[in-house]
Amino acid sequence: MAKENQAALTIQEEFAKKIKAENRREKIIKWAPVLVLLALIVVFTIARGSAFASVSNLVAILNQWAIPLIVALGLTFVIMLGGIDLSIDGTVGMAGSIASVLVMNTLNDNNFGIFGIIIAILCSVVVGFFVGLFHVKLKIPSFMVSFAFMNICTGIAYLSYSGTPATVSDPVLKALPKVSFLGIPFITWVALVMLLLCIYIQEYTPFGRYIYAVGTDETIPRSVGINVDHVKIKVFTLAGFLFGVAGVVGLIRLGQGQAGIGKDLMFPAQAAVVIGGTSLSGGKGGVLNTVVGTLIMTVLINGLTMMGVNPNIKTGIQGIIILVAVILTTKRGATVISK
Amino acid sequence: MEKKLLFSAKNITKSFYGTQALKGVDLDIYEGEVVGLIGENGAGKSTLLKIIIGVQPQTSGEMTMHGRPFAPADPMAANKEGIGMVFQEQSLIVNLSVGQNLFFGHEKDFMRMGFVNWKKMYEESKKVLEEVNCGYINPKKKVIDLNFATRQMVEIAKVVNLTKSGHDDQKCLILLDEPTSVLNEEEVQNLFKEVRKLTAKGHAVVFVSHRLDEVLEISDRIYVYKDGENAGNMDIKDATEEKLYAAMVGRETTTEYYHLADQKPAGKEVVLETKDLGLSGVFKHCNIKLHKGEILGICGVVGSGKEEICSVICGDEKPSSGELYVNGKKVDYSSPANALHDGILMIPKERHAEGIVRNLSVADNMALSNATLLSEHGVVSKKKVNDQADEWIERLRIKTSGREAELISLSGGNQQKVVFARALASQADIIILNHPTRGVDVGAKEEIYALTREVVAQGKSVILLGDTLDECIGMSNRVIVMKDGLITGEFQADAGEKPSQVSIVSLMM
Repeated sequence: MAKENQAALTIQEEFAKKIKAENRREKIIKWAPVLVLLALIVVFTIARGSAFASVSNLVAILNQWAIPLIVALGLTFVIMLGGIDLSIDGTVGMAGSIASVLVMNTLNDNNFGIFGIIIAILCSVVVGFFVGLFHVKLKIPSFMVSFAFMNICTGIAYLSYSGTPATVSDPVLKALPKVSFLGIPFITWVALVMLLLCIYIQEYTPFGRYIYAVGTDETIPRSVGINVDHVKIKVFTLAGFLFGVAGVVGLIRLGQGQAGIGKDLMFPAQAAVVIGGTSLSGGKGGVLNTVVGTLIMTVLINGLTMMGVNPNIKTGIQGIIILVAVILTTKRGATVISK
Repeated sequence: MEKKLLFSAKNITKSFYGTQALKGVDLDIYEGEVVGLIGENGAGKSTLLKIIIGVQPQTSGEMTMHGRPFAPADPMAANKEGIGMVFQEQSLIVNLSVGQNLFFGHEKDFMRMGFVNWKKMYEESKKVLEEVNCGYINPKKKVIDLNFATRQMVEIAKVVNLTKSGHDDQKCLILLDEPTSVLNEEEVQNLFKEVRKLTAKGHAVVFVSHRLDEVLEISDRIYVYKDGENAGNMDIKDATEEKLYAAMVGRETTTEYYHLADQKPAGKEVVLETKDLGLSGVFKHCNIKLHKGEILGICGVVGSGKEEICSVICGDEKPSSGELYVNGKKVDYSSPANALHDGILMIPKERHAEGIVRNLSVADNMALSNATLLSEHGVVSKKKVNDQADEWIERLRIKTSGREAELISLSGGNQQKVVFARALASQADIIILNHPTRGVDVGAKEEIYALTREVVAQGKSVILLGDTLDECIGMSNRVIVMKDGLITGEFQADAGEKPSQVSIVSLMM
């Protein structure tokens, strides 16, 4: 029966049907991340009951969520371009370390307060700018440039406190981790402000549209006179800014500046962005996808910890998640429109 | 009624790396008319359109628009003068909404206090869409959720809007490159309706298509190009399919060019057979037989499915229906390596992208397909690789500084010979030649033809996708014609009894 049906279709109808089926599949898969998040919440609630679904654990999740979210937001724009940024561990650690030796601390007599923090973030912004600049002007793949900068920044981080990490003694910074408003911890508020900023950039500025366009097909923005190189450099600079903010937030949380603030942030961030549905091939996804993606990662880690899973197995599970997410999204990217 | 000249191009030429894509073509367009532009693949239609829209400059020749000299530096400059183009591959950003696409690059006109005022943009979008009678399209919808016909209308709306920006009364020229290739009949009629509405307002449209019936239906005047030259310009009143076919096909070359004296009749033995082969949405019901020692030409325009058939035969793509038999045995390939194992090898069209490894030496490039044959105890023998290279460099008279030369240092024709050498050395019996003479000079072409004759003389069989119709007919023992994914005709093409180009073109378009 099905075979007869097929014979009755013309080639064009077959083609149209194929495209339709693909679009349908895509629509279904678009909601997959949200379903995964809900499923995780249900599973952990059933498994651990009130321990997981308690207010105190919710606050803990929000706390754990903050830094991965800020980092992943920066990465989202880079991946939407079709690029990748591996500098994260370095830049985040560098920003945190530099901030720690510029504010009131146990290592030296500096006390630049808020300016110290601004300088630290600026350092990260400059790194982002250079990653973008080298990538665009010298036509080096972004993963190579950013990987080099990861090492450079880690080096700078170590140098900034020359061996002995500085402990923050600024009273305001020391108090911040315990501050909360409406039950939400301060550092989560920082992350939420960054989220709003990114939503603004993505949805309400021309720049946000250009990111999608460059990621889809560079010739389209070029043909209307948009400077594609500038868009790319701006995206990497913006990512640098967010990594810098993440570094400072990490410092506030830890109370001590060290290169390790950025350690092991990169892969979970990549995973979160991709799981959220932002395609590695570019032009697709966005900030809200990353919100879901980071929540999935955070809830998963939190839930697994509660269930007493061996931390080494947790790392392995993260790897499998990245793999599955990449397989799903690359399939999504391969739309057949060449006839 | 006096017609007013809107656009004119005189004696436009364009050369790429020594080959001349345009040898001097003209195009005059008057306000309010639809001009059809037809010609074989490679006749120069797309090249001319790209020059008009400012994607690439002409080598020589002049253009005017609104009576003023016109030399766009980029598509934007062309847009300002009132010329817009709907590209064959659509240029919409699929994850943005219709409105965002319409005003892409012009968001600054909608900024209010640092925010893009989407509401205003969507209101404007509504007006733009209504202008081309597409008020039914919701500007807030993402392009990815629209079907191809609707996307096409969005493209047209975008182009019309771009070309009109600033001066509402300016007449514009819209270039449509193969706009109907993804549309069904009803959608095509819709498109035509919109085109007529545009021309009623005094705008002009250039319509490029492989489908002759559509060109005849919509155009007021038809230009025919052939090999980068003018081959006719006729009013629709005088145009018939027969006349157009005759204009499109050109001179038929001499028998020596294709070494017809060496063309031997094909053997009886069937080496490859497809039974009702199909690839969903691309081609179907394909029954092809290839005999031993035969050159089988497949003719068809881009999108006819001829390339995909070859992809299926050489194992690059899996068919969705039908069967493939090689030497009488049913086969089911999952990769080109499988097909090569049975002696099927394709020499790809995009030599630079698919056929060669630029930075490997001549010798290593030749050894790519038959490394196993050249190895001893699992290790590739350097001596055998070198011997093979020396042998083929001599046999094919490849001009190179030596077998160690990097392939990229050779000329196009000689690179192609290296690719041939690899195919011959691999001991494949069925060779698919996908546009083997594309981008090589005349001398090298002839050598490739001679070589192809030699290959079949050794009892191998060839499937040929020719660069021109003339080449396909001249070289083949038999010609199969395809149109829109179906085989529409088959001709015997023995030496001395070649089918005419017109008879083949009429089945292609």
